Amino acid sequence: MKRFALWTLALSLVLFPLGAAQAADTVKIGLLAPLTGFAAADGASVLNSVKLAVEKVNKEGGILGKQVELVAYDDRADGKEAVGLAQKLIQRDRVVGVVGGSYSTPSRAVAPLFQEEEIPFIAAYAVHPDITKAGDYCFRNGFLGMVEGRAAAHVAVHQLKAKKIALITSDNDFGRTLAAGFKEYLSKKAPGVELVYEQAYPFKEKDFKPYLAAIKEKDPDLIFASGYYFQTGPIVSQAREMGISATLFGEEGADSPKFLEIAGKAAEGFLIVTNLNRDDPRPEVQEFLKLYRERYQIEPDMVGASAYDAFMLLCDAIRRAGSTDGAAVRDALAATQNYNGLTGVVQGFTPAGEVVKDVQVQIVQDGAFHYYGVVKDPTIITP
Amino acid sequence: MHLFLEQLLNGVAIGSIYALVTLGLALVYGILRILHVAHAAVYTVGAYLGLLFFKMSGSLLVGCAGAIAGCAVLGVAIERLIYFPLLKYPPYVPLIASIAILLALEEVCRLVAGPYILTFPAQLRFPALHVLGVDVPSSVTGILCITAAILAFLWFLTTRTETGLAMRAVSQDLAIADAMGINSHAVISFTFAVGSAIAAVAGVLVGIYYNQVYSTMGSVPAYKTLAIIVVGGLGSVPGAVAASLLLGIAETLLIGYAHIPLPRDALAFLAMIAVLMWRSEGLFGSR
Repeated sequence: MKRFALWTLALSLVLFPLGAAQAADTVKIGLLAPLTGFAAADGASVLNSVKLAVEKVNKEGGILGKQVELVAYDDRADGKEAVGLAQKLIQRDRVVGVVGGSYSTPSRAVAPLFQEEEIPFIAAYAVHPDITKAGDYCFRNGFLGMVEGRAAAHVAVHQLKAKKIALITSDNDFGRTLAAGFKEYLSKKAPGVELVYEQAYPFKEKDFKPYLAAIKEKDPDLIFASGYYFQTGPIVSQAREMGISATLFGEEGADSPKFLEIAGKAAEGFLIVTNLNRDDPRPEVQEFLKLYRERYQIEPDMVGASAYDAFMLLCDAIRRAGSTDGAAVRDALAATQNYNGLTGVVQGFTPAGEVVKDVQVQIVQDGAFHYYGVVKDPTIITP
Repeated sequence: MHLFLEQLLNGVAIGSIYALVTLGLALVYGILRILHVAHAAVYTVGAYLGLLFFKMSGSLLVGCAGAIAGCAVLGVAIERLIYFPLLKYPPYVPLIASIAILLALEEVCRLVAGPYILTFPAQLRFPALHVLGVDVPSSVTGILCITAAILAFLWFLTTRTETGLAMRAVSQDLAIADAMGINSHAVISFTFAVGSAIAAVAGVLVGIYYNQVYSTMGSVPAYKTLAIIVVGGLGSVPGAVAASLLLGIAETLLIGYAHIPLPRDALAFLAMIAVLMWRSEGLFGSR
C-alpha cells in the first residue's frame, strides 16, 4: 500500500505540469537565459527584466484578452543544454514565441529549431550573424558585431578624436567580429588614423599586464578593449595601475554593474558603445530604471533591457497580428516600425531580421554609466 | 629595455602566484605520492573564506587568518577522511577521489556564495616602487614580498626544525619513519595543513590582485599546477618554485613579444611534454 501511494505520488508529480499546462488559457512565451554558470549575472538581469515586462503586459490586460505566461529555462549559456530546453518549449509548453536571452553559442544552436517549427524567435543581445541566418522567423534586437564595431570606430575617430589606436580583443566570435567592424571602418573611412597594436587574448585571461605593457610602449591615445565585464574590468584597473593614461573604450560586454564593481575607481572616464542610454528622457525608460532599482536593489544593464524589449516587441507583434499564429506574428514583427523600446526607438528590422536603431555611447562618471553621445548615421547603424 | 624589465617583473609576479598555488601540491605529492587535484578547490575556498572574514571584520589580516585556519582544517579533513583510507589502493583511486572533491567543493562554493563573480575590495598596503626606471605597482610589490616570506618560512620549516626533519623522513620512507618512532600520520596531516594554509594565502592574494572571487577560479590552476610539478620534478619543492617562476616569465614574454594568439596555458603543457620526453625526472627531480 505504501509503495502504491508512492507510485501514485510520483506519477502525479510527473503528470502535474502537463495537466496544468493544458488547462490554463494563457499566451505562453518562452525565455532561455543563463541563470547559472559563468554568465549567471547576465541571466539574472534578463529574467528580472522580463518579469517586469510580463507584469506590465498583464496589468494592462494581457494580449488578445488573455494573460501572458512566461516559461523561463536556464540554458547555462551552453549549446547542448539549450537544444534540449528548446525542444521542451516547442513540444511540452507549446509556446507561441521565444525570447533568446542568452549568449551567441546557445542562441545559434536553437534558432534553426524554432525556425523549423515556425515559432518567432528574437535574440535579445547575442551578436553572432548565424542566429538570424537560420531563417525568417529569427530576429535580433541587439547589434551585430560588425555594426557595433563600426560605430565604436566612428566614435573613437570623430567624438574622441583618436589618432593612434590600440586594439585588445577577446578571442571569441564576439570580440573577433567587433574588431573586424572596427578595422573595416578605420581602413575605409579614416585612413589617417594609425592602428599601433592589435592582439587577441584567450577567454580565461585574468592577467593583462603583458599586453598592456606592450601597448604602453606604443603610446596610443585610445585603447579599444572588447570583452565581457569580467575581462574588461581587470583590463581597465590594470591599465590605470600601470599608469596608462590613454582613453579606454569598450562595448556592451562591459555594460554591467559588475564591471563598475570589478574596475572600481579606475572605471571613471571609461566609455562604451551599447544600446541602453540610462539618461534617456523618455518616460518608458526612466520608469523601468526606477522600478528595476527599487525591486532588485541593483543597477539595470543592457542585457536585461534588451531582453525586456525583445519580449515587448513579441507582444506588440502578437497584438498587431491579432492572433498567435506563427506566420502572422512573424509578418507583424517584420513590419515593426518606430517601436518605443528601452534600448532606443526600434526603426524596424531589415529583411534579414536585424534591428535598426541608434547606437548609444555611455561614459562612467561618479561610479555609474551616463550619456556621452549617440551614433545615428544610417550608413553605420544599418547592417 | 624598459619594456623588457617591466614584462620580466610581471612574469615574476605571475610566477609567484603559480608558486604559491603549486607549493601545497608539491608538498603533498612529496609525502603521500598523491596527485592532490582538489588542492585547487582548497585555494578557491581560501579566497571565499578570506573575503567572508574580511567583509565581517573589515581587516585584511583577520580575513587572511580566517582563510588560513579554515583551509588548514579543510586540508586535514580531506587527508584524514578521504585520502588516508584510500592509501591502500593503487594511486589512481585517490586521484579519482581528488577530482570528485574538486568538483564537489566548487559546487558547494557556487551554492553557498551564489553564481556571481564577487569582488574583493581590499588593498594590499605595500609601497609602489620605482626601480631602474620601472614602475612597480603596489600589488606587485605585495605579491613578491608575501611570496618571499612564505618561501623563507617553508625553507626554515623543512631544513631547520625537527618537524621538517620528520617531514623529510616520512617523504623518503613512510614505513621506516614509522619504525623510527615518528608519528607519520601526524606529520602527513601537518603537511596538508601547511600546504592548504599556503593555498589559502594564494586564494586571497589572487582574489585581491584581480578583484574577482568566483566558484570556478580553481579550474585553471587545477590542471596547470599538475604540469608545473611535473616540470619541476614531482614532489620537489624547489623544483615547483623554479618551474612556476620560469613559466610565469615565459608566458609573459611570449605574450609581450610574440604575437601568437596561443592560450597561455598551452605553454605549461608544451613544457610538460618536453620534460616528459627528454628529462622525465623534471628540472629538480631525482630518478
